[in-house]
Amino acid sequence: MTMARNCIVVNLDRCTGCFGCEVACKMENDVALGQRWSKVFTVGPVGEYPDMTRYALPTMCQQCEDAPCVSVCPTGASYRDKDNVVLVNKEQCIGCKYCMMACPYGVRSWNADEGCVEKCTLCGQLTSQGKQPACVKSCAAGARFYGDLDDPESAVSKELAKYDEKDIHVLRDAGNKPATRYIMTDMIGTWYDRVEPRGGHQTAAYPVED
Amino acid sequence: MEIQWSLVLFTCLSGAGAWLLACAGLDAFRGLTRKATAPAVVAALVLIVVGGLASATHLTHVDRIMAVLAHPAPGIFLEALLLGIDVIVGVVFLALVKREGSEAARKALGAIAVVMAAVFSFSCGSSYMMASQLAWNTVALPLGYLGTAAATGTALWYLLCAALKEDGPALAFAAQETLVGGVAALVLALAFGFASGAAMGADALTFWVGVVLCGGVVPAGCGLMGMKKSESALQLAVVAVVGSLIGSVAFRVLMWLASVTLMNLFGATI
Repeated sequence: MTMARNCIVVNLDRCTGCFGCEVACKMENDVALGQRWSKVFTVGPVGEYPDMTRYALPTMCQQCEDAPCVSVCPTGASYRDKDNVVLVNKEQCIGCKYCMMACPYGVRSWNADEGCVEKCTLCGQLTSQGKQPACVKSCAAGARFYGDLDDPESAVSKELAKYDEKDIHVLRDAGNKPATRYIMTDMIGTWYDRVEPRGGHQTAAYPVED
Repeated sequence: MEIQWSLVLFTCLSGAGAWLLACAGLDAFRGLTRKATAPAVVAALVLIVVGGLASATHLTHVDRIMAVLAHPAPGIFLEALLLGIDVIVGVVFLALVKREGSEAARKALGAIAVVMAAVFSFSCGSSYMMASQLAWNTVALPLGYLGTAAATGTALWYLLCAALKEDGPALAFAAQETLVGGVAALVLALAFGFASGAAMGADALTFWVGVVLCGGVVPAGCGLMGMKKSESALQLAVVAVVGSLIGSVAFRVLMWLASVTLMNLFGATI
């Protein structure tokens, strides 16, 4: 039986960059002060006038198929549950932070009070009851979708089916195969899967090394 | 990325200990020393164990460490396993030396110690080879770990031989080993510096002065001079140890400073 590929899909054509998803995530999951499991970036403005691009980019755990955070974890604290969702069992986390080093997107948080790593759980406490993740439910623009990429009847599959392949994007893949999809048409501008740290476009979205 | 000093000390000390044990093991084949072997093995065991304890201070929940045994993934598990094996090799080798066990058994353990030193010090660096870390994802990183650990371990062996006033041939050979260790550190650290970009980046000074000069050129130079002048062995060995230790620490510090993540969206440092 094929495992589900549950993830969040974000339609950037709709996203207004209101940060409501960030707030909803923190409230629902009691995320520690100063930490985020969900974060909205602003890409750009980049490009040459008049071909400028600027868009909001909501980010979270990308639910990678070959999740490096799971394979490097020495205790199995980073794992996939029965629904194939990448999670952290905080009772088993020894705080070695290898998963934070291995995550290509740096979307794992460090809970200093508990000495454990945390991350987006896709709001399993809600989805297990047939509800939507807090960020999806709260999205005022209707830009966020949750579901199984392999289920044609899921909300994510239905939304993705409305668009051409060229308008469906993923963050830079280092072999980890991120599941999260971003929909963005040329109505918004040019998609950037990563802005090069030096010599390339500088944006607020992808923090660069000084 | 923030420097993880616990991990710096772990690989620096344990790696040096493993190579010190390797030098003592190599002497089982040459039979040049009279007094240095047993103290060297004891010092090596202390370094390996202290390094291992230093690594544990990196963890927030050491109480859960046994869970590692249930999940034999590469990285921490492999390092702990190799560290444990090296300690056993050292203890058995020490017992053989103390009880004047058979030469064949000592040579066998000596050969294992040499192989273990290479494998252990390499594996400590290979744990950091991750696609998410652009500057680390090169085989030159674990090779640099190996080279700098070899330089420190061989220099420590040279120091012990000099301090215990071993004979000229033993000192000359220890100096030769220090030369080999220093050259290994120099060549392999240079490879990492250019492969990762650290040689030209913001931390170039740390690389060229700390890693290349102190960690490679100094021990190699001391070893080369020591091969010709055994009367200055102690002074040369002290300089080689200090230089190689600085180089070994600087190399590991540089790794953290040179970290470039594929994307660090949340800006969190560890």
